[in-house]
Amino acid sequence: MKNPSPFFWSKLALRELLNNRRFSLFFLFNLALGLAGFIALDSFKESLDNHLGQNSQAILGADVALTSYLPFEEKTLNILEAKFPENTLSTRKTSLFTMVATKDQSRLVQITGIEEGFPFYGKMVLKNKGVVDPENMRQSLALSGEAWAYPELLFMLNLKIGGSIKIGEQSFRIADTVIDDPSSSFSSFGLAPRVYLGFSQMEETGLLTKKSRVSYQRLYRLTEGTDLAGLVVKLQNQINNFDGSDSKIRILTHKRAGNNLGRLLGYLNDYLGLVAMIAVFLAGIGAAYLFRNYLVHRFREMSILMSLGATRQQTYRMVLWQLVFLGTGAALIAIIMSLGILPLLPLLLKQFLPHGFETQINLSSLLFALVLGAVGSLVFCLPVLSRIRTVQPLQLFHENIGDQAVNDTFWRQVLSYLPLLVLSWGLSVWQSHSWIVGSAFVGMLLSSILLLGALAWGILALAGKLSQTSGSTMKRLAFRNLQRNRSGAISCFLALALGTLLINLIPQIYQGLQEEVSRPDDFRIPSLFLFDIQPEQMGPLRKTLSEEKVHLNYLSPMVRARLEKVNGKSFEANIEEVAMTREQESRQHFRRHNLNLSYRTELSDSEQIVSGRRLASSYDWDSGKPAEISLEVRYSERMSFKLGDLLTFNVQEVTVEAIVTNFRRVQWNSFQPNFLILFQPGVLEEAPGTFLGSIGGLDSSRRLSVQNRIVKDFPNVSVIDVTRMVGRVLKISDQMVLALRLMAYLSILAGLVVVFSIARHEVEGRLWELNLLKVLGARFSDIQRMIQIEFTVLGIFAGLFGVAVSLIMSYGIAWWFFENLWKWTWQTSLASIIGVTALSVGVAWLATQRTLRSSPLSLLRCA
Amino acid sequence: MILEIKGLDKSFPQAGHGRVEVLKNLNLEVHEGEKVAVVGQSGSGKSTLLSLLAGLDRQSSGSLRLRGQEISAMSEKKLTQFRAENIGIIFQQFYLMPHLTALENVSLPLEMFGHKDSQERAQEALQQVGLAERETHFPHQLSGGESQRVAIARAIVIRPAILLADEPTGNLDNATGVQVANLLFDLVQTTGMTLLLVTHNTELAQRCSRQMTLHSGTFQ
Ligand SMILES: Nc1ncnc2c1ncn2[C@@H]1O[C@H](COP(=O)(O)OP(=O)(O)O)[C@@H](O)[C@H]1O
Ligand SMILES: [Mg+2]
Repeated sequence: MKNPSPFFWSKLALRELLNNRRFSLFFLFNLALGLAGFIALDSFKESLDNHLGQNSQAILGADVALTSYLPFEEKTLNILEAKFPENTLSTRKTSLFTMVATKDQSRLVQITGIEEGFPFYGKMVLKNKGVVDPENMRQSLALSGEAWAYPELLFMLNLKIGGSIKIGEQSFRIADTVIDDPSSSFSSFGLAPRVYLGFSQMEETGLLTKKSRVSYQRLYRLTEGTDLAGLVVKLQNQINNFDGSDSKIRILTHKRAGNNLGRLLGYLNDYLGLVAMIAVFLAGIGAAYLFRNYLVHRFREMSILMSLGATRQQTYRMVLWQLVFLGTGAALIAIIMSLGILPLLPLLLKQFLPHGFETQINLSSLLFALVLGAVGSLVFCLPVLSRIRTVQPLQLFHENIGDQAVNDTFWRQVLSYLPLLVLSWGLSVWQSHSWIVGSAFVGMLLSSILLLGALAWGILALAGKLSQTSGSTMKRLAFRNLQRNRSGAISCFLALALGTLLINLIPQIYQGLQEEVSRPDDFRIPSLFLFDIQPEQMGPLRKTLSEEKVHLNYLSPMVRARLEKVNGKSFEANIEEVAMTREQESRQHFRRHNLNLSYRTELSDSEQIVSGRRLASSYDWDSGKPAEISLEVRYSERMSFKLGDLLTFNVQEVTVEAIVTNFRRVQWNSFQPNFLILFQPGVLEEAPGTFLGSIGGLDSSRRLSVQNRIVKDFPNVSVIDVTRMVGRVLKISDQMVLALRLMAYLSILAGLVVVFSIARHEVEGRLWELNLLKVLGARFSDIQRMIQIEFTVLGIFAGLFGVAVSLIMSYGIAWWFFENLWKWTWQTSLASIIGVTALSVGVAWLATQRTLRSSPLSLLRCA
Repeated sequence: MILEIKGLDKSFPQAGHGRVEVLKNLNLEVHEGEKVAVVGQSGSGKSTLLSLLAGLDRQSSGSLRLRGQEISAMSEKKLTQFRAENIGIIFQQFYLMPHLTALENVSLPLEMFGHKDSQERAQEALQQVGLAERETHFPHQLSGGESQRVAIARAIVIRPAILLADEPTGNLDNATGVQVANLLFDLVQTTGMTLLLVTHNTELAQRCSRQMTLHSGTFQ
C-alpha cells in the first residue's frame, strides 16, 4: 500500500477550515488580537535596544573613557595612555552638578567643560549655529568664554539667548542653546539641564574643588578595528596595580554607557511585555474554547475517515495541520495589525524616549510571532486535542448510543496542561527579563485563574439551585442553562473577570500614589532637598535657614566608600559578564558602584527594622570588634547578604570592617534621605564626607526664595525642588499608565471576542432546543430575555470578582512596594462592574441575534 | 470461503455492574460471491456484528476470519490497512464528508493511499451508481437516495472483497429504498462481490441468496 500525495492531509485540513469559515475567522481574529499586542511590544523593545546600541558611542561621545573624581595626574595618564594603540585621539571633559543663579531665580544644572574634539561620535546641534564643529567650539566656548545651555534652562530661569548666568564665581553669556545633544538622549528627566563651557573656563568658576563632586573624564576615539575588550582588560590590570586614588579610576566603554541609559526604559518595557502576555493568554483561552467546539463537531467526520482507512495518527495530524494553519494565519494578521499599533507607542511614551527614536518592525519579532502563533495554538489546544482519543468509528453504527466516554485519567489531563504552563512561564520570564517578576506574574495569573474558576464553579452551583426555585420560566431556564453548560460559562466568566482585573489593577495602584503626592497640605514629602553640604558649612547654613524661618530635617551625613570583601573574600564585579536578567543586571550595577554610607542613632519614620536587633548606640574603638551596620532589606536580598556577614569597606583608603546586624525596610517614596547601608555612630564621623537634608512645608514662592538664598550663600550646595520633580515623575507615570491601559484595553477586547464567540456557539448548540421553545409558544422576546439573564449574571459576577481580585492584588502590591499608599475609589469599581455587565449582555445580544431569529422550521429540516 | 465466524461472543460492560452479552456463540460461513442477509429486530445485535466484521471493534472471544486471516490477531495498523483494501462499508446514515463534493467523497479512500488513477476510478464508480453528472455537487445538494448512492460508490471504489451494508435503505422512503436496493444488487451481481447485508426489512432480505435471523444474540 502506498502513501498519499505529500499534501493530501494538509489540503484536506485546509479544506475543512475553509468550510468552517465562521470558526476559522473567529479563531484567527481572536488569536491575532493577542499576538498583535505582543509583536508591537516586542518590536518596540527591539527598536529600543537597537537604538541604544547604535547610539552608545554617541552617548559616551567616544569609544572608551577614563573617569575619576580627582584630576588626573600627568604621570598616571602617561602610563595608561601607553596602552592605547597609535593614532588614538583624546579629549578632556569635566562635569559637575551645581546651582546656577540669575537675579531672582536658581536651578540645579549640570555644568560640562569640553574642548575641541568633543564629541567624537554623534552631532551636537545648536539652535543658531547649527552643527557644532571644532571652529565654532573654539570661537565661542574657548576664546569668548561663552556658554551653551539647554533650552529648558532658559525657560526655567526666564532668560533669552544673549543673557548671562552666574556659575560659581564667574558670569557667562549664553551664546546659544543646544537643541540636539546625543550624549544626553536620556537626561534624568531633565531635572538638571546641562550647560556647556570651555574646558579651561571650568577652572574660573572656582567650583573644581574637593567640595563639589567633580567628574573628570578623558575620552578616546580608537582607530578602526581596535580590540576594545582587550584594551579594557589591559587598562583594568594596570589600574589595579596603582595604589591610592589612582586605583579608583574607572573605565567606561560605550557599550556600558548605552546599557545604563536603557535601564529604566527596560523596566517599563518588561511590564508592558507582561500585560501583552495577558492579552495573549486571554486570546489563548478564547481560541481553545472555540477549538473545542469545532473539534467536537468534527468527531463524526474523523470517524468516517477512520472507517475508510485513515489511522488515528493521520487524523491527529490533520487536526495539527489545522492548528498550525490557523496559528500561522493569526500571526500574519497580527503582524499587519501591529503595523498599526506600533507607531502609537512612541507617541504615548515620548517623554521617556531618546531623541530621534523610531520604531521599526523587526524581523525576529515577526518570526517569533509566527512561531508563537503556531506553537502557542498547539499548546493552548493540547488539553482539548486529547479528546480525539475518544473518537470511535464504531459510533457510526450506533448513533443512538452517543459518546463513548474514554475517560482521561486525572494525570493525563494535568499533563496536557503542562506545556501551557511551561510556555507561559518561559515567556513571562523572558518578557520581564526577571526570574522573580516572571515567576511571580505566572504565579499570580495562575492563582487568580484558579480562584476565579473556583468562584465560577460556586456561582454555577448556586445557579443550579436557583433554577429550581426562582420565579419565571425564562429565569429558571436561564439558570439551568448556565449550570448545564459549565465550560462555556466558566470560560466567559474567566475572560471577563481577567479583563476587568487588568483594567482595574494598574489604575488602582496608580491612584494611591497619585493621592499621596497631590495632597496639597501634606508635608510628608519635603519641598527641597539639599546635598553636598560641607561639614564646615553646617553652622552657617543653619543660621541662614533660621533667618528664613525654616528647619533643616533629616540631616544625614554621607560618606563614600567601596565594598572590598565579604566574609574575607574579595568582592569584585566581573565587568564583561553579560547580564541576562534584570536581577543579574542590578546586581552588577550595585557591585560596580561606589556606595554611600551614613550613620545615625535613630531610625527615621520611614524606616523599620524587619530582622536582627537595633544597632548599639556608639562604637568602642578599643574593643577591636567590627562596627555594626544596618542594611536595606531588598538590597541585601539582591546581594544575598545574611545577618552576621562580615563586610570590609574601603572608606577613602581606610579599611573598615562591619558586621551585618539588622535589615531595614525603607519607604523610598517618602523622599527622605535614606541609605542602603547605615553605620552605628562613632565609626565614620572622622571620614571626610558631606551632609544632606530636606526642608518641608514650603509653598511654591517660598520654595523659590529659600532656594535662591541657599544658592547665593552656599554656591556648592545643590538644591533639588522635590515638589517639581515629583510632578514631573507623575507626568511621566501618567504616560506609563496610559500605555499600560492601552494594553489592558486590548486584552479586554480579546476577552469580549471570547464572549462573543462563546455566546454564539452556545446559542447555535442549543438551536433546536430554542426552536422547540418557540414551537411550544415562547415569544422571541422571552427567549432573548433568557439569554440576557444568562449573560447579565455572568457579567455581574465576572465584574464583581474581577474588581475584587484586582483590589486585593493592588493592595498587596501597594503594601509590598509602596508601603500603605492605597486608596479605594468605589466609583471606578462600580463603573467597571456596570461596564463589564453591559458589554457582556450587549456582545451576547449581538452574537445571538441572527440565530435567535431563525425560523423554527429548521426543526423539521435537521431531523 | 471468504468469511468464517466460529464461536463469536461479544459483550459490553454495563453501566451499573457486570456485562451485557450482545452476541453469543455465533457461527457463520460465507462463500465468495454469496449474498447473505442478517435480519433481526432492533437491538438484536446486527450492527454489533457488522462492527466486528468491519474490524471497528473487537470480539470478546471466538474467531473471525476474513479471507483466511484472523482479524482479532491483527495489529491496529494492519487492521486499518486490511479494511481499506478489502472491506467496503455502507451505513444507514450515509456519512458523507459534508465539505467534499460527490466526486471527492468517492475518491477519498483511494487518495488517502495515493492511488494514481483515483480520479478516473471515482468517476467510473459514480457512473456505475448513475450520478456521473452530479460530480461537483456537495452532500447537502443531494437527496437521501442520491447520497446513499454516492456512499455506495465510495464503498465499491476500492473494489472490496466483501461489502458490509447496515440498513442501507433504513433512512429512505419505500420507493427510493427499492431503487437503491436494485442498484446495490445489480452492482454486486455484475462485480461478483460478496455482500453481507443487515436489515430488518424482510423484503430486502428475500433478495439475498441466504437469510440468517439474529435473535437475542444467536442465529436461529
Ligand atoms: N458500546 C456499547 N455499549 C453497551 N451496549 C451496547 C454497545 N453497543 C451496542 N450495545 C447494545 O447491544 C445491543 C445490540 O445493539 P445493536 O447491535 O446496535 O442492535 P441492532 O443494530 O440490531 O439494532 C443493544 O442492546 C445495545 O444497547
Ligand atoms: Mg443497528
